[in-house]
Amino acid sequence: MTVPPQVEPPLLEMRGVGKDYRGVAALKDIDFDLRRGEVHAILGENGAGKSTLVKILSGAVTPNRGEIRLEGKRVEIAGPALARRYGIAMVYQETSLVPTMTVAQNLYLGDEKFFNRLRGTYIEAQQFLQSLNFPVDPTATVLSLGTAKRQMVEIARAVRLEAKIIIFDEPTATLTPEEKHHLFALIDRLRKENVSIVFISHALEEALEISDRITILRDGSHIITDDAKSFSRETIIRYMVGRSLTDDLYGRAADARQLRLAGEKVLSVKNLSMQNIVRNTSFSIFAGQVTGVFGLVGSGRTETARIIAGIVKRDFFHGGDVRYENRSVRYRTPRAAVGDGVVYVTEDRKGDGFFETMSVAENIYIGQISSRESHGIVASMSETRALAANWTKKLNIRALSSDSRVIELSGGNQQKVVIAKALVQKPKLIIFDEPTRGVDVGAIAEIHHLISALADEGLAVVVISSYLPEILSLSDRILVSRQGRIVEELSPDEATSESVMFAAVY
Amino acid sequence: MKRFEKALDRWLGRGEASITTPPMDGAFRPNDLLDAASAVVATAAPDGLAVTTLGLVVSSGRSLLRVDRPGDAPAASFDAEISALVGLPDGGAALGLADGRIVFVGGQYEGKTIAANPEVKCITALAAARDGALLVANGSATHAPSDWKRDLMGKNASGSVWRLDPVSGARTQLAANLAYPHGLLEERDTIVVSESWRCALTRISQGSGRRSAPVLEDLPGYPSRLSRGADDAIWLALFAPRSQLIEFVLSEERYRRRMIDEIDADYWVAPCLRSGRSPLEPTQQGGVKQLGVLKPWSPSRSYGLIARLDRAYRPTASLHSRTNGRRHGVTSCLVSEGRLYFTAKGDGIVASCAYEGSMP
Repeated sequence: MTVPPQVEPPLLEMRGVGKDYRGVAALKDIDFDLRRGEVHAILGENGAGKSTLVKILSGAVTPNRGEIRLEGKRVEIAGPALARRYGIAMVYQETSLVPTMTVAQNLYLGDEKFFNRLRGTYIEAQQFLQSLNFPVDPTATVLSLGTAKRQMVEIARAVRLEAKIIIFDEPTATLTPEEKHHLFALIDRLRKENVSIVFISHALEEALEISDRITILRDGSHIITDDAKSFSRETIIRYMVGRSLTDDLYGRAADARQLRLAGEKVLSVKNLSMQNIVRNTSFSIFAGQVTGVFGLVGSGRTETARIIAGIVKRDFFHGGDVRYENRSVRYRTPRAAVGDGVVYVTEDRKGDGFFETMSVAENIYIGQISSRESHGIVASMSETRALAANWTKKLNIRALSSDSRVIELSGGNQQKVVIAKALVQKPKLIIFDEPTRGVDVGAIAEIHHLISALADEGLAVVVISSYLPEILSLSDRILVSRQGRIVEELSPDEATSESVMFAAVY
Repeated sequence: MKRFEKALDRWLGRGEASITTPPMDGAFRPNDLLDAASAVVATAAPDGLAVTTLGLVVSSGRSLLRVDRPGDAPAASFDAEISALVGLPDGGAALGLADGRIVFVGGQYEGKTIAANPEVKCITALAAARDGALLVANGSATHAPSDWKRDLMGKNASGSVWRLDPVSGARTQLAANLAYPHGLLEERDTIVVSESWRCALTRISQGSGRRSAPVLEDLPGYPSRLSRGADDAIWLALFAPRSQLIEFVLSEERYRRRMIDEIDADYWVAPCLRSGRSPLEPTQQGGVKQLGVLKPWSPSRSYGLIARLDRAYRPTASLHSRTNGRRHGVTSCLVSEGRLYFTAKGDGIVASCAYEGSMP
């Protein structure tokens, strides 16, 4: 008779955990378990549900269904404070430290004694940081630290709270190779101390290098969990992008449509640099074409577009050159860019796209007056109404009236208002950043149709998207961004989901 | 104010003074088509191509070879290097020699030699005008054709284009102060000139009140010979790639001077027709990341590139031999009998590929 090997129960179990946002499932009844002292990587495209999963785990989001068991006991993680009490800590990509406080103060934040002796706190923090082998000065303000050291403080805080589970969300996105090496050594040490690690990254090589097991999510569903050794880069990519639900919407294969030929070169970006976010990137944009830019979050796509549109500035010294219509341009404000016909449609429509308490008509009119060299102090109501009526009809914006507030519209119609606001500025080059993010299926088709029509009219159109089917179905040429640079150009008739994703991560 | 802004830009390395190179994308998207082309002739430093009554001929050093019979004795040999070659409408060919002479082979001017002129001693390209005249590109007023690297690193713009009467030998200057004219193409009453050091094509007028205007600027390589295909497409050979490193060295006056004075030209940080053959050359094909910033300090100095332009001189397609390719330093290309022939001078190969009016 053989005795079955003793299997240690997992530290954490999630069974049938799901989360809906306004009836749309962001996470569909996921099963997930985490063993003691293991590094478990969660991989997936943008929007696959990774963040929702770890937010549930860290108490930032409450699930609609399912159960969570910690050390065999059922728990309700009702908030971040409770998660910390359960020994779950999260290390965010953008650290959650207070920048104006010192390292030691941040370490003991929320856990201060009634009488605090600053010197004592510093000594204690110094000893603690040394025990972790972190070369961080406890008296330094967090503001003065680099990204890697901030992350060290964040990790130290998690360890100090005796976390059993530490969640790392894209920890290496802003690290140099040297800093990355240190981080991996630390994760290894934590693993040996029986701390369980959840590791989210877009860098597949890192996941393969550091993790014991890998879970892949796609469209909010669990696809596979297995030992890291059983995966290769290619199989991970295939699991990440293999898509069936969305083929109906984005199934327009490149060979079934006529690709538009390039017209005049409208924009030439040469060796553009901005800190370590945009790194010496170069590409061209042509009239009469849709140029799709694909890249994972943090690949510098949005920042590049924002530099072109004058929203952020490139490096002061040797920041590269942007040539628009055969002349070197350096827009200091978006208004100057708009004046030249360069318009950027933001990815964050609620933050930057419209004034939510103003009406549809007022928002569109603002787009018009912002493109004028000078304007009076009195807005023309008749012009506002005529403009709104025209664009509401043209873009099929569904609102009760043009006086409806934009905040009352659906995501798709809000996006159409933002696009209308951009189009009244009569662009020659229009950059759409994630044009269908948070937009319902019906509006996606309309927005895609509109983007194609703009290219047919001869405009130079750029579509930045993290959604592969969108890029493949819309683009006449595809640029792939990775680590702050355009690294590959593909023609849609030869590109596949795998090849684009491969270029984006590998 | 403008002058102040320009000085500031120069100091900060931005605007027109930024050290940048145009991207190889769009029509210049890299491929391996030059390497896939079939080799026709292997010979030392093939340079010019021309269609004559002998068929397609190629200049190689001091000899003129028939492309269809590469093993035969040269069709013609000279006492100086051939620096330019053109086929004439009567089936003959005109050749520019490195010492400035122009000689004719075949056709009505068979055996004729036009003596060198002190003003034209760096013949880099020839073209036959419709009225029977010969158009001559004089790359530099100070350097010989073989010394082109010194002309580039010296930031010279002393080239000129001349009109030559083959009967009398009379010359008329059509344009001056050109940055190494290296290719000529007559178009109605104008001439399109490829200016290597300006990385641009320029149109010059042949008539009175001569003017020049840019046709195509900001090329990703140094352009050389131009030719017209049967379908009116224009073919442009680019003999070396631009790189940020070379642009940087060109902007560093003192470094450049010392390099020119103290180092053998083969080992300069400068473009070349074939690189990577000696360990003494500047480091090749590398990059280094420091503090998260990519430093492109050692890009390749040689490349193979041919561009196809439409009637409006807009690039529509290109053929490449990438850094690891074996068809570098393309100086000429020509469409003959439905095939595109080119000379990879850096690798000593004349090759051809099928051309049926459309390229990728």
